[in-house]
Amino acid sequence: MSSELIIRCSGVGKAFQLYLHQNDQLKQILFGLWRKFYKEKWVLRDVTFDVGRGEKIGIVGRNGAGKTTLLQILCGITRPTTGSVEVNGRIAPILALGSGFDGLLTGRENARIGGAILGLKRREIDERMDSIAAFADIGSAFEQPMRTYSTGMVARVAFAICAHADADILIVDEALSVGDEVFQKKCENYILNFAKTGTLLMVSHDLNFLSSLCDRVIWLEDGVVRESGRPSTVVAKYREAMNAVQPARV
Amino acid sequence: MERIDLLPFASLSSENWIAPFERAWRHRELIRAVVRREFISRFRGSALGPTWAVLSPLFMLLTYTVLFSITVPQLSAGKSVTEYAASIFIGLIVFNLFSELAYRAPMLLHEHVNFVKKSIFPSETIAWTATIRAFIYAGISFGVFIVFRLVTAGLPPWTIVLSPFLIAPFALFILGIVWFFMALGAFTRDVAHIMASIVPVLMFATPIFYTLAQMPPSIAPWLKLNIVGNYIEMFRGLAIDGQLPDPLFFIPVVIVSYATFLFGYQFFMRYKSVIVDVI
Repeated sequence: MSSELIIRCSGVGKAFQLYLHQNDQLKQILFGLWRKFYKEKWVLRDVTFDVGRGEKIGIVGRNGAGKTTLLQILCGITRPTTGSVEVNGRIAPILALGSGFDGLLTGRENARIGGAILGLKRREIDERMDSIAAFADIGSAFEQPMRTYSTGMVARVAFAICAHADADILIVDEALSVGDEVFQKKCENYILNFAKTGTLLMVSHDLNFLSSLCDRVIWLEDGVVRESGRPSTVVAKYREAMNAVQPARV
Repeated sequence: MERIDLLPFASLSSENWIAPFERAWRHRELIRAVVRREFISRFRGSALGPTWAVLSPLFMLLTYTVLFSITVPQLSAGKSVTEYAASIFIGLIVFNLFSELAYRAPMLLHEHVNFVKKSIFPSETIAWTATIRAFIYAGISFGVFIVFRLVTAGLPPWTIVLSPFLIAPFALFILGIVWFFMALGAFTRDVAHIMASIVPVLMFATPIFYTLAQMPPSIAPWLKLNIVGNYIEMFRGLAIDGQLPDPLFFIPVVIVSYATFLFGYQFFMRYKSVIVDVI
C-alpha cells in the first residue's frame, strides 16, 4: 500500500435546501440575492478523511446518517455545500443499480450507454461486451428489452458494466442485497479481487464482510464522523451502540 | 450559517469561449450513444420504423401546400403554388426545430432524472443530445424539401451548399435556449406551461407564412428582433432565391446566437449542482 492519496475529503458538509412551496425554488433563483426562501437541513457536517491508493474503506451508520450523500459527493453527482473533495482517479459507482436504464432497449444496448457514462470509449465497450454478457450471465435475455427483466437481472447487468469500467476506485452502496446468492457470491468475489489492486469505498450493513475486507471503517452518525479506525474496534463499538438502541425501539 | 455558494458567472476569457465545446468533445462517446438510443427506442415497435421520419414532414409539406395555396393566395405574392409551399416549408422546418426544443427543454431534466440523480452523468450533455436529435429530423425534412424542389423547380441554386454556415450558428442559438430553459424547468414546472403559451404566439410573429418584405415598414424592424425569423429569411435566401445574406444582417445574428449559447451554458453550469438536489 502506498501513501499516495487518491481521495482527499476535507471539511465536507452538505445542506439540502428545504422549500415550503414548490415555487420558492424559482423565487430563490430569481431573487436569491436579496432574500432566502429555504430552510437548510444539514445531512453532513465537517467530514474529513483521506484515502490512500489501494486502501479499503468501509462506511457504516444507521439509515439517514448521510452515507449515500457522502458517496454521491465523492462521485461528483452532487456538490458539497462546504469543504472540498479531491479525487485522483476514475470512479465506478455502484450506487443504485440499473436506475439509468431504458426499458425499451436491450441489455446490450443499455450496457453500451452505461459504459459510455463511465467514460469508456466505443471500441473499449465493444471489446468488453462479450465479457460483460458473460459476467451478467443472463443468457439470451441480454438481447431482450430491459422492461422484461426482473430486478435481479437488471442488477446483474448494472454490476457487470461497473466491473468492466477499468476503475481506480470502486464505490459500492449496499448494492449487493438484490440478486440471488450465486450472483451475490460473484459480486463479493469480484470486490475481493478488485480490492487486491484497487481502492474501495463501501457502504454495507454486512459488518462481518466489512471487517474482513477493510483496512479502515468510518462510522457516520447524524452526518458527522463518530468513529474512524481499525475495523475490529469501530465495528465492535458500532455493534454495541446498535444493541443499546434496539430495546428502546422495539 | 454558510450560504449555498454557486459558481460565479465566469468572465468571458478565451477559455470560456470554447469550454462548452471541450466538455462536449470529452463526452462525445456518451452523446453518440444517447442519440443512438433515442432513435432506437423511438422507432422500436413501429412497423414502418425510420420511414416515419420521412413521411411526417412529407405530409406536413403537402398539407400546408394545399391549405395555404388555396385559402390565402394574397400571401403568396405572385409566386407559384409550389414556390410558396417551398417557402412555407423552409419556415416550418426551422420553426418546428425551435418549437420542439422550446417545448421539450423545460422537461428534459425531469425525463432524465434517473441519469442525473443516480449516476455520474454529465447533465449538460442532455442539451446536446436533444439538439442533435432535433437537427437530424430537421435534416431529413430538408432532404424531403430538396427532393420536392428537384421535382417542382429543377436544381436548387448553388448557394444551398452554404447552408452549413447558417446551420452552425442556429444550432448554437438553440443549444443556448435549451440549456437555459432546461435549468429553469428543473425548478418549477410552470416553465413548461409558459412555453406552451408563448411559442404559438411567437409562431405568428415569425415569417413562416409570409416574408418580412410583405410586412408594413412600421412593423418589419420589430419582427427582425426575432432571431428564429431571421434564420428563416436567410435560409430561404440560400435555398430558394439563391441570395446570400446581407453581412450586416448575418453577422449580428451570429453574434447574438453565440452570446445566447454562452449565456445558456453558463447559466446551466451555474445551477447544475443545485438542480441535482431539487428535481
